[in-house]
Amino acid sequence: MILNVLTGIGIAFFAFVLQTSIAGINRKIVGRLQKRIGPRWYQEFIDIFKLLSKRSVSHGWIFDFGVIMALGGIIGTAMFMPITSSFVAFQDYDNFFIFVYLLAVGMLGMAMSASGSGNPWASIGVMRALTTMLAYEVPFLIVVLTIVNISGSSSMTGIQIYQQTVGNNWFIIALPLGGIVGFISLMGMLGKKPFETYIAPAEIASGPMVEYGGKQLGMLFILHEISVWIEVTLFVHLFLGGATNIVEFLIKYFAVYTLANLISNVNGRFKIDQVVTFFYKWPLLMAVTQAVIAIYFGWVI
Amino acid sequence: MIDLINNVEFLILFLVGSSFIAYMLTKLNTYLGSVFTIFATMFVFVALAGFGFGQGLGVDTIIGFAYKNTYLGFYFAVIIAFIYLMVSFFHPYYLGQYKYKDSYNFLFLLSLAGILGAFYAADFIQLFFFFEMIIWTTMFLIPQGKSREAAVSYFGFSVAGSVAMLTGIFIIFNSTGTFDIANGLAQISGTNATLVFVLFLIAAFAKLGSFPLHIWLPIAHGNAPHPFSPVLSGALVKLGAFIGVLALIRIAPTSSLLVDTINLPLGQWIIAILGSISIVFGTLMAIREDDAKKLLAYSSMSHGGYILVAFSLMNSVAFAGGFYHILAHAIASAAAFMAIAAVARATGTTKMKELGGMIHKMPITYLAYLVAIISMAGIPPMGGFISKWLIFQAVINKGMIFVAIAVFFGSVGSFLYVFRPLAALFLGQEFREYKGVKEAPILMLIPTFILMGLNVYTGVFPAGILNYINNILGELGFASLNVTASSVINVYDNQGILNPAYISLVFAVGVFIAFIIFILLKKSRKVGLMDTYTAANFVHDEHLLHYSVDFYAPLERLYEKHTNWMIRFFESLAKKVKEIGKLGKYLFMSKNIGTTLLWIMTIIILLLWGEVL
Repeated sequence: MILNVLTGIGIAFFAFVLQTSIAGINRKIVGRLQKRIGPRWYQEFIDIFKLLSKRSVSHGWIFDFGVIMALGGIIGTAMFMPITSSFVAFQDYDNFFIFVYLLAVGMLGMAMSASGSGNPWASIGVMRALTTMLAYEVPFLIVVLTIVNISGSSSMTGIQIYQQTVGNNWFIIALPLGGIVGFISLMGMLGKKPFETYIAPAEIASGPMVEYGGKQLGMLFILHEISVWIEVTLFVHLFLGGATNIVEFLIKYFAVYTLANLISNVNGRFKIDQVVTFFYKWPLLMAVTQAVIAIYFGWVI
Repeated sequence: MIDLINNVEFLILFLVGSSFIAYMLTKLNTYLGSVFTIFATMFVFVALAGFGFGQGLGVDTIIGFAYKNTYLGFYFAVIIAFIYLMVSFFHPYYLGQYKYKDSYNFLFLLSLAGILGAFYAADFIQLFFFFEMIIWTTMFLIPQGKSREAAVSYFGFSVAGSVAMLTGIFIIFNSTGTFDIANGLAQISGTNATLVFVLFLIAAFAKLGSFPLHIWLPIAHGNAPHPFSPVLSGALVKLGAFIGVLALIRIAPTSSLLVDTINLPLGQWIIAILGSISIVFGTLMAIREDDAKKLLAYSSMSHGGYILVAFSLMNSVAFAGGFYHILAHAIASAAAFMAIAAVARATGTTKMKELGGMIHKMPITYLAYLVAIISMAGIPPMGGFISKWLIFQAVINKGMIFVAIAVFFGSVGSFLYVFRPLAALFLGQEFREYKGVKEAPILMLIPTFILMGLNVYTGVFPAGILNYINNILGELGFASLNVTASSVINVYDNQGILNPAYISLVFAVGVFIAFIIFILLKKSRKVGLMDTYTAANFVHDEHLLHYSVDFYAPLERLYEKHTNWMIRFFESLAKKVKEIGKLGKYLFMSKNIGTTLLWIMTIIILLLWGEVL
């Protein structure tokens, strides 16, 4: 029991270190893409530790409590996530819905804290974030429905093992339409362009983040890195066959995150209603088509 | 010798008796009468909970009604009695402002008597009698709030449901010769069964406020007296769920027509689709609602849809989810409505655009609302997560794609609408007109704390409740859910395993780590709410910095043109009914002496013709 919890904390810490490093490397890659040299790969660490060491302002107890609840929820979610198909802190209890809904606790805490600051930009940002969530979650969950229905397990480990079994393909190959929908939804989850409407730095002054500074902002940065890790790892486990060892996991993880980042950097930004109409048009249609083909007709490659 | 205290009928008679005492006492002194109501309700709840688990409550007849112990009936009765008890704590602070305050406690206790009778009824006529008792008593409670039309609308839809139910009961009696609930539902078959199925479901939809009979729900919930809205949403709409269970589960599926790919009888499948429409419609309407109570009313409609979907899936995991959802939603919705009621008492309004920053004045009420909405949105570690998870697993296992779209949409959409009052009403700028507002008095905080605790308890340790639900499932003839003593839920042979206690533990560990990080770093400087980034503008009025009107405007714009078509349908239906009435009036109630004479002559001729033949 204690061991499980400690393993979980280790996973959360691993998540933070991994994603922060990869985000730094990605800053360099994007820099090269734009003919810059780019910052050093550990620049993200420097940013976070600088923020954590600074003295900041607080807008009342809910402003602080929301940040704690948000970071706590995200750390808790990361603790459940398996890294490979055999390495998981809580054996058997890594149900898919935990990741969707425990992640929501973190988001709720952050939204609460942002609204508690009393800044209207923050509220607008929260409104956009929630609206974006309504847009990308439904197509994504329909694809997951298909995956769970086919693999006969809603545990993340179970889904990985199903894909690794000889005779079964990775779900991105078995369900090609679903794989595309999954990746588009992942872009929405990560808040990458064209779906970064709720951050929109120049438009709504960074949205939910507008009032933060110092340790609160530093904690939100940590939260961001861990939640990105959870979301990308979800995609790796659901569609790319998971991983049998840590090296495989690192390669897949790096590839998915870098691809999302590269696509993000050659795109503009949608308006918020465009985000909704976009997701409820093509991705939802593709997700439903895929589900009908796979579940009712049983055509799975 | 009948053991008096341990008897359903005694409890009902006790409630009827104490309702008269409450009337007298309230006439004398509002506070006294309300406190008496609290104790009367508490006595009934304690007796019910003390004897009822394990079917210990006596059902011997004292004056003529026949009662029966069922796990199903008790489950509903105890939840509703509990909500009544919680709400009764609010009475002393609200009743003073109502016009007919003497009758409030009287009707309140009388409707609880009706609830007990309905859920312990052994035969249909008695069920119907007590049903009408509930409707007639509550109908006079609703107009004490903001509007009289609300009661008309509530009563209209309730009567439609009652008529449908009574017709169904007569059909059952006609074809089986018994009024007994269990036998009647078991014996009915063929076309009659289909008819009863449809009629009972009309009653269920009307009581549950589900699409397409949902019009009354926001009107009644939004305009009912503040302490009565939690009862309506947490308790009374669950009557519809009870009728739904009778129709969907107890009647053997009549149609041989199976929807092949998902292996469901056609009737059940249609109900699942209607429930899905309910979910989507309720969610979309709640997102654009400005009145906090109406918003919660639409959320009740959406949750009613979940209950219908769960009960139409024909397997025990979904049924367990549905029963658990009834409990989780009753607690969460009552808590949310009571928090809004506390705010309304302090400020005199439930309109979100007029409120802001209540958290600084009423932090405990805020926490109660927060816990309630976390449960309502189906987020761990609260009760709503367990039930939604069970329903999701069942929907996924059946592979019902279109129902799944609605179920997932409602679930994510609920984040949007429950956050709205949180942001607009409790958080944000502190308005100067509410500077003098204080936290709710201690008596009102008691139920707040109890409900908060229960919201968490149902989410962390569901084993006890799920084991009770297993009894109900056994009674209905379905396999029981696989739950271990440490609350590990296992569905469909390891397709999904959930350990709620671990989730809560891990969440607590996470929050603890975050707290340690927070506390170790430098202390922040406190600044006021007006001291924010405003892009170099000087903003002097806190109202200008409070973003709460049309919160989801960009999203609402996408569908706001299409929100009225159900109301338009009912309006045109009402118009048609009126036209028929006018035709009748023109034909039979004319002031024209010639027309009257014509009818008299016709009737006489007809009578004579009968005599001759």
